Amino acid sequence: MPSKEDLKRLAFQAIDDRADEIVGLAQTILKNPEPGFRETKTSHLITSKFAELSIPFRGGMAITGVRGELTGGTAGPTLAILGELDSLIVSEHPHADAATGAAHACGHHCQIGMLYGAALGLMQSGVLSELSGRLVFMAVPAEEYIEIEYRDSLRREGKIEFLGGKPEFIKLGEFDDVNLAMMLHTTSTPAEKQLCLSGTNNGTVAKKIQFIGRGAHAGGTPHLGINALNAATLALTAIHFNRETFQDADTVRVHPIITKGGEAVSAVPADVRMETFVRGRTIEAIMDANMKVDRALKAGAMAVGANVKIQTIPGYMPLTQNQDMADIFEANSNDLVGKENVGHVAHRTGSTDMGDVSQLMPVIHPYVGGASGLGHGADYVIEDYKLAVITAAKALTATAVDLLGDGAAIAGNIIAGHRPEMTKEEYLKFMRQMASEETFESN
Amino acid sequence: MLSTDRLKELACAAIDEKSSEIIGIAQDILAHPEPGFSEVRTAQVVAKKFTELGIEHKQGLAITGVKGRFAGGAGPGPKVAIIGELDSLLVGEHPHADSETSAAHACGHHCQIGMMLGATMGLLTPQVREQLNGEVVPFAVPAEEFIEVERRLQMRTEGKLEFLGGKQELIRLGEFDDVDMAVMCHTASDMGERKFAMGGTSNGHVVKYVQFLGRGAHAGSAPHRGINALNAATFALQAINANRELYQEEDTVRIHGIMTKGGEAVSAVPAEVKLEWRVRSGTPDAVVRNSAIVDRCFKAGAMAVGASVKITNIPGYLPMRHDNTLQELFRKNATALLGESSILVMSPRRNRGGSTDMGDLSHIIPACHPYTSGAVGAGHSKDYVITDYQNAVVNPAKIMAMTVIDLLADGGAAGKEVLARHRPAMKKDAYVKFQREQAEIVEFSGAG
Repeated sequence: MPSKEDLKRLAFQAIDDRADEIVGLAQTILKNPEPGFRETKTSHLITSKFAELSIPFRGGMAITGVRGELTGGTAGPTLAILGELDSLIVSEHPHADAATGAAHACGHHCQIGMLYGAALGLMQSGVLSELSGRLVFMAVPAEEYIEIEYRDSLRREGKIEFLGGKPEFIKLGEFDDVNLAMMLHTTSTPAEKQLCLSGTNNGTVAKKIQFIGRGAHAGGTPHLGINALNAATLALTAIHFNRETFQDADTVRVHPIITKGGEAVSAVPADVRMETFVRGRTIEAIMDANMKVDRALKAGAMAVGANVKIQTIPGYMPLTQNQDMADIFEANSNDLVGKENVGHVAHRTGSTDMGDVSQLMPVIHPYVGGASGLGHGADYVIEDYKLAVITAAKALTATAVDLLGDGAAIAGNIIAGHRPEMTKEEYLKFMRQMASEETFESN
Repeated sequence: MLSTDRLKELACAAIDEKSSEIIGIAQDILAHPEPGFSEVRTAQVVAKKFTELGIEHKQGLAITGVKGRFAGGAGPGPKVAIIGELDSLLVGEHPHADSETSAAHACGHHCQIGMMLGATMGLLTPQVREQLNGEVVPFAVPAEEFIEVERRLQMRTEGKLEFLGGKQELIRLGEFDDVDMAVMCHTASDMGERKFAMGGTSNGHVVKYVQFLGRGAHAGSAPHRGINALNAATFALQAINANRELYQEEDTVRIHGIMTKGGEAVSAVPAEVKLEWRVRSGTPDAVVRNSAIVDRCFKAGAMAVGASVKITNIPGYLPMRHDNTLQELFRKNATALLGESSILVMSPRRNRGGSTDMGDLSHIIPACHPYTSGAVGAGHSKDYVITDYQNAVVNPAKIMAMTVIDLLADGGAAGKEVLARHRPAMKKDAYVKFQREQAEIVEFSGAG
């Protein structure tokens, strides 16, 4: 029986043999960016690749999701490798779609490349038959929590319930038969080096807010109006007045924007809208900050006698990563790029719906370098595709071999030793409880 | 029978004769300033002078008020009060301040006592008095300045008073029940070349004692356990300012206040913050309306951080309503004494922005509250001093005496005309009810 190191070498060779094709897939996606729940072209690209490789797959889950499946030589646990389909909207980005403004300013196109590379490597090399259990290759939609208005309309039409791809996949049962999951995200942060182990991420809820005042001629009869913009700006001030109560350890982030600030400068603003995220390291921290934000929004309305409608939309759960899986990934990273090129980061204050998956099963969500610029910025581009796609695919492949090789002994131990935070049912109940709409009337 | 003009000449001559005495009384009071509801010595000066003049009087009204009364010799008729305010301000830097109490006459009320006594002396001239109908009520009243609110609230708790202004309290006590109309005259420092001004109006107001209660905590190690009452108050003030666009110019809204407690130690999250606030507006309705807006802002401040707030509303003064008929008599007499070019008549819409409890009285009976020159410096400041006692005391004594002669001579015809033409804004009972309704305590918890 070949050793795990032999299996990895074989798989790496298969990946290297078709490196150009793998990178080419990523670059094709780069040129066809599509934001979440709209990734039809991207979805089609991955299904045609699965079809070429004769990987059994299903598509159309959560609108654009794709799930391919490979079975090892013997029975065992199921490991999911995830790639995110969606782009951002950054119209100034050099690779932006001129019509839609969509752009891969967060490197997700590389994830689809590496997912394909891992599938190809394990399959073409024959390594698959030496593994125990199943590999599920999930191309999931809508990781970026954007276009909330559009997604909320999809929700109201009954096409989705949650606004992120992985929560939808969980709800649809796509994770029901999965025991472990992993993915790898690009990074442009030099301190995170070539491959980077990460720890936790903030969770988040999203809020849509509408302040309802009363319009009036701003010059002639301001006293007859109720200024919804004053309500909103005071609400922002009230939020700031609560910041001193956010604890360092909770890494709370509240960062609202005003999406409508009035209609005509000569009229007292009657309808002002805001969106915000409320992020925190733990569910408790998010709930506490969310309560304070709601209170502040109401105080803004009360200050001028306006009404405020607050819609709270469940966002993403805090991410926790499985240490054993991380250790395996780290060892493979050391082998691939050298220990000195492996970074570590304890906590990131952004959010990902991989956090939701992490509530249910052991997961890792490490990072790969190769990008430059600021994440989500117009200058975020991939400069080193060999690292961001090929080395990344190898790191995932090697970790899959470690987990499922040797009778999937390691995966079995990890699964046995893991205590999930929530069951799927508890998760869904919690998410549904978080969804609320409230109108506070102060006049 | 002497003509009205002749009566005025006699009264003015008598006042001229007594001018050193009445200026002396004013300057004696200047040297012994006492703030509202503690004008014991000042009241004694008045009472002593009433006794000397043989005027029947009552003392101790609303704590320090002194009310005299004498009938004319021509039979029944209207009862006219000549009011002088007893109280000083507290301005420790004032050149005439009491070094112990900081009390100082930085608003010229000492002159009012001088001119009230001067007018009384003029009217007591036998040939004048015997031709007057009705009664003259020289009335020294306490506490026009709405200050020392905390002390007065304590007096209220002790049952010594209910309203915090002297005339308000005297109205409640019925001391104006037997008065048909009232006049007084206030010194002013902003009259330029003019010597006598009348008309305009003043603001009504409500006073708010505001206490924000949060929760103390170590501001460094456990700010998340605290509830910052200072943030609640600061938010409330921003909210108040955001509402300024609602205030209409004709309402001459003034909303202002001070923070009397802003926390205890910089290392602790402030758990208790106190404000003293004032909402002024040109009509009682506007006061009520704008007071509600300000209360809403205080509640919003509490809600913003999950604190609680207690607002103790204290009824303040009502806007001044000058009786036109009375004012016209003042204008004629001031013109006769000082010449037309020295007289300023302000539009009834001209609101000076401040407040006086003469406004309260003017809602119940015909009243007039003109201004006389003689002062310099900004009112209520250390610079406000009387530089011309002839203008500040003697002239207004004469103008008031002449006006009372107009009202009560000739069978009291003009006084009766004033009464016939006057439409009171409120009856006394309605006034007391209105003010009691303003004395609302609002408690609100903003815990989310």
